[in-house]
Amino acid sequence: MTVEEQVREIVARITRVDKGIITRQSTFKEIKADSLDIVQALVAVEETFGIEIPDEEAQKFQNFGDFVSYVENQVARKGKA
Amino acid sequence: MIADKKTAKNGRIRVAVDAMGGDYAPEEIVKGALLAARKDDLEVFLVGATDVLNQKLAENGSTNGSRIHLVAAGESIDENESPVDVIRRKPNCSVAVAARMVKSGEADALLSAGSSGAAAISAIQYIGMLDGVYRPAIVGSLGSFAPNTVMVDLGANVDCKPHQFVAFAIAGSVYAKRFLNIADPKIALLSTGNEERKGSEAVHEAYSMLKNSGLNFIGNIEGGDILSGKANVIVCDGFVGNVVLKFYESIGGHAQSWTEQKLKKYPPLRALVRLMFRELFPATKISRGAEKNGGGLLWGVDGVVKIAHGASRAPQIASAIESAKESVKAGVVESMKSELAKFNQGGKS
Repeated sequence: MTVEEQVREIVARITRVDKGIITRQSTFKEIKADSLDIVQALVAVEETFGIEIPDEEAQKFQNFGDFVSYVENQVARKGKA
Repeated sequence: MIADKKTAKNGRIRVAVDAMGGDYAPEEIVKGALLAARKDDLEVFLVGATDVLNQKLAENGSTNGSRIHLVAAGESIDENESPVDVIRRKPNCSVAVAARMVKSGEADALLSAGSSGAAAISAIQYIGMLDGVYRPAIVGSLGSFAPNTVMVDLGANVDCKPHQFVAFAIAGSVYAKRFLNIADPKIALLSTGNEERKGSEAVHEAYSMLKNSGLNFIGNIEGGDILSGKANVIVCDGFVGNVVLKFYESIGGHAQSWTEQKLKKYPPLRALVRLMFRELFPATKISRGAEKNGGGLLWGVDGVVKIAHGASRAPQIASAIESAKESVKAGVVESMKSELAKFNQGGKS
């Protein structure tokens, strides 16, 4: 499973939406994720991939694609380290 | 010092209390815990700054002992902080530590008089929700005018997704069965009309989910039917529920003032009315049980979590601890799990 698929699964599980409706362009508002959903998703992703997502970075995510790209980069960097 | 799971073997119910949360914390929380721990069947774990708590115990002539235990937690959540901070910024605050004690089995229940949002988020994050439940809800009996009716949600979820209404209906049903002894509670959705298409988009969707849920759903009811007894469980979002709750609580006082004003010219009648209201109608409060017990239970969490009023003093804290203990004994979580399992097996909604 790719990083994107795993992140999508996590977000869908937490927000209780069908993962099929989550595209890279989907905003958190569109998938009806509130602040608690977002924080829970961040924590779950951090635990799954063993990475850290600082709040200042998380605040820059405009949509699901931004979130996934950040996680992909961190996972790749971790792999190289 | 954290007690291990073996303490349960002495038959006592263990309540983890957020000792740093509440308008009068930790002083009144400690006093309340001492009052509650006079009973044999209870142990209280005061979670917070142990140096302060030790001092408060000493001031009240007590020590960390067989029924009162202290558990260290370095931080607390203020009312003006975002409750979500409990996860990312303050995961070791008192309410979060208390929640993790419930999850690990070191405590049977959690009580907090601090930020309700922080308590709810700690419950969600560290204890977890029951299968099929997204967020906790608050259920309350309407008491006086409608003794066989409960409402849910009374304020935990301002914006609701349609599937949440189904979980609310199940929580309300369990409450009505366990505490009002109603065998097959009638469930209704609060809306702006009886017809299926009335209400907000979320309410429309919730209607069709409830209709196909296999629950004893009788359709929509309007505000005028809340007190009619037509439904035993009235389901609404927390925004509507909280508005109705506070309006309902205010009715008695306003009715008394209005009546007394009208009878100003008739002092004997006015005195009679005053007596009548004092003796007969002070119970015009929703959630009388919750008031009496010092707070409300968060339904849908995989553990007993009780939220006490922020302004609770020692007697209310003691009542809330006692009530948390009774909820553990009554098996409210197990009842909820069993109802949810029945519902989930039905594969409906």
